[in-house]
Amino acid sequence: MRSHLRKVVLAIVALAIAAGITVAASTAASSKKDTAKAGGTYKVGWEQSFGFTDAFDPTGEYLGNAWALYSNLLLRTLVGYNHVAGAAGNVIVPDIATSVPKPTNGGKTYTFHLKSGIKFSPPVNRAVTSKDVAYAMMRLANPKDGGQYPFYYTVIKGWDAYAAGKAKSISGIKTPNNSTIVFNLTQPTGDFLYRMTMPATSPIPVEVAKCFTGAKANQYGRDLISTGPYMMQGIDQVSDASCSAIKPASGFDPLSTLTLVRNPNYNKATDSKKARESNPDEFQFLVDSNSDDIYNKVAAGQLDDEVSSPSPVVLRKYLTTPSLKSRLKQNVGDRTWYITMNLTQPPFDDIHVRKAMNLIIDKQALRKGWGGPTAGDIATHIVPNPILHNILSEYDPYRTPNDSGSTSLAQKAMKGSKYDTNGDGKCDAAACKNVLMIADVRAVDKAMVPVIIADAAKIGITFKVRSINGAYPTIQTPKNNIPISERPGWGKDYADASTFFAELFSSDTIIPQGNTNYSLVGLTPAIAKKVGATGSITGIPSADKQINHCQTVSGPTRVSCWAGVDRYLMTNVVPWVPYLSARNLNVISSNVTEWNYDQFSDQTAYAHVAVK
Amino acid sequence: MTNPPEFLVSGGGAAALVAPVAISRKSPRRLFWDRFRQDKAALAGLVVVILLLLIAIFGGPLAAHITGHAQNGTFTDATDDFGIPVGPNSHFWFGADASGRDLFVRTMYGARTSLIVGVAASAIALFVGTLVGLLAGFYGGWIDTGLSRTADVILALPQVLIAVGIVAACSVSKDGCLHGLIQPGLSVVILVIAFFSWSYIARIVRGYTLSLREKEFVESARALGASNTRILRSEILPNLIGPLIVYTTLLIPTNILFESALSFLGLGVPVTVSSWGSLLDDASTNGLYQVAWWMMVFPGGLLILTTLAFNLLGDGLRDAFDVRSDR
Repeated sequence: MRSHLRKVVLAIVALAIAAGITVAASTAASSKKDTAKAGGTYKVGWEQSFGFTDAFDPTGEYLGNAWALYSNLLLRTLVGYNHVAGAAGNVIVPDIATSVPKPTNGGKTYTFHLKSGIKFSPPVNRAVTSKDVAYAMMRLANPKDGGQYPFYYTVIKGWDAYAAGKAKSISGIKTPNNSTIVFNLTQPTGDFLYRMTMPATSPIPVEVAKCFTGAKANQYGRDLISTGPYMMQGIDQVSDASCSAIKPASGFDPLSTLTLVRNPNYNKATDSKKARESNPDEFQFLVDSNSDDIYNKVAAGQLDDEVSSPSPVVLRKYLTTPSLKSRLKQNVGDRTWYITMNLTQPPFDDIHVRKAMNLIIDKQALRKGWGGPTAGDIATHIVPNPILHNILSEYDPYRTPNDSGSTSLAQKAMKGSKYDTNGDGKCDAAACKNVLMIADVRAVDKAMVPVIIADAAKIGITFKVRSINGAYPTIQTPKNNIPISERPGWGKDYADASTFFAELFSSDTIIPQGNTNYSLVGLTPAIAKKVGATGSITGIPSADKQINHCQTVSGPTRVSCWAGVDRYLMTNVVPWVPYLSARNLNVISSNVTEWNYDQFSDQTAYAHVAVK
Repeated sequence: MTNPPEFLVSGGGAAALVAPVAISRKSPRRLFWDRFRQDKAALAGLVVVILLLLIAIFGGPLAAHITGHAQNGTFTDATDDFGIPVGPNSHFWFGADASGRDLFVRTMYGARTSLIVGVAASAIALFVGTLVGLLAGFYGGWIDTGLSRTADVILALPQVLIAVGIVAACSVSKDGCLHGLIQPGLSVVILVIAFFSWSYIARIVRGYTLSLREKEFVESARALGASNTRILRSEILPNLIGPLIVYTTLLIPTNILFESALSFLGLGVPVTVSSWGSLLDDASTNGLYQVAWWMMVFPGGLLILTTLAFNLLGDGLRDAFDVRSDR
């Protein structure tokens, strides 16, 4: 009996030890699994369509979502960022260049030395040289090749002459050898280094890109040659023997999928882990027209991340469910959503009406359309506060109780208007009725438009709303003479306020198509004739003098200079009703073991993500 | 005419004369009404349709007056901090929508839009379809061939797809289509629906006309020298009234549903105009119906009720007009 009992005890102990080993092993395995970083496929659901502005050709591509892919995964620039959140994410670091150069020659010359060992992906397979950077700049300067922000580089000597076809190259760009490139500017430009972080400045191999010029320029996006840690799937199967031999890479279907795989020519030693960890083996970006479907799939783990806007339903679910809260990522978005008013179109050609609109709009209600306070802070001026180092964080020239609009204040502002013929504080002229407003058809537009209509009615303005799927082309064409639109938003190109003012309010950025100076600030009759704008085209206020001055300022006073431009525009021009300083909201799945935010592109820092 | 005198026959032989019995015939209208009111479902349908017409005319303004909420008036207490609308309560009887508007008021106004589109599109389809059907059935030959084949092609088209395409194409720019001739909004929705509906009426009218043109009264009229136009107008058309009423009554709910489908796809009425379809589209946007059931239940329920009522009424009318039916 004793012997039997001993055997039983021994058996129990053995079982317990075995069980303990098993538990320990599985715990170790799961720990290892939870902290595993390299490998796997990171899947991202992309709402509606890629929406690329230039078919993913970096020369003309202006979509922030595309920039996230370029900067984190595909394209290296002379200088770049570490792709992290907050102020650290806006610090310029060397990328292809060996160091961040200091300007010489009174701030007018920048000399970059290229690292060795940086190569183009297949099928090009050769080292990147300074001439490839120069070629990219020339492609950007050529108006036939679709560049959307060449205006940033007109400060380079010879840029305009080349763009006008009067020179064979840009005289201000010198490549004394394969690893040196020198930029000579016409004037000191305090944010020039920021401008050299933008994707269009990334080196481009002429042997491939020469096949994509003029009307075919943006087809280069289907065969983009990478310098980053990833490349388009299938690009290595493309033959670059001749232009006719080049077929689109299989990994990019502009309507549905973009798959990126590791670039075999990427040399980690030429990069830094702080800038790019490059954990997953593959990235898949999958278009889904139904945003509900995207969030359901993220919740189910079929997708890891999303390029979409969480609806109020999703926000409430994630914020009120403790187990989900940590999977909703909130970061400062560096972008402003606003209602734009056309200074040439009645009744918005009257500053009193524009001021009254700022005072009547219920910004809290508009923010609710985006999902409430989680979506961002109420915007009271043009540039998001972090970019202006919070100089204007208390500045609200059209303050109303609880930012909900004030009928009395708005009517008081309206009384000064020529359209208030009887001085009752309401816009009662014929020009105030059935004013055309262009809206988009997103869920947030449907929520906001009735609020704007109801608010404007309080000051006598009624709208005829035209909801257009993809409203940007309509409002970006000045000859359409659109009086008002709730569609636009603007995010920084880089962490300098010039990227708001130059593009949005300079008269020299008013163009016939793709115009983003929707309000036509600074319009002259000559420009109006060129772009086809009609209406009240004389006496339009301008901010050119202020903007041009601040462009030349460097150092700490530069930010306060831009703050002054913001104040000037909000008080003396009033082109917008800014209402939301948007936060970037991302919902990720439980598969994601590492996630970061890229402050430069205001998107997921794909350079610093990992998945199980 | 009275009957001739009757003899009362009893056991034993002829008896005294009995007063003649007068027999009166029921008019067609009386016959119709007697048959119709026996159909309780049809009667119920009629009552509901009349009620809906009253709602369409008076419901919106009355609801706005009673509640004090304008059709497009927005209220900050109608949505929570996340922008999700509140449910039915004493302030918002049907709850609110994502913009903070009163759903009860918008649903009542929605009846007007839905019925206007349904009835207007049906009326246009009726006019065009009747004209085409009359001409095709009466004249025959190449006229019949041409018109009938056209109607067949229209019937064969994938209507929803093409309607979506036309309405979407006319909505991508501020000028609409055809240099501003077709502007996005109710008018293009009505025209598109009518375009796809007339062929249904045309085929029915053609069939009836083919039958009626062989009748004796038509031959008599022709023999008396009546022109074709007169025959069509005075002999054939009046005999089509009954069937046309029936089929139009059945067409209206189909067209209301068509408009709802277009609005649901975001292609119908402007954002400031409510229709039941657009209210359902609002409910499905961002999956709001998952947390705001009222946005779907009230307009959806009324849509179902309307469709059912018109269908019951139409069935009842058809049975009442058709003297050969079982009842």
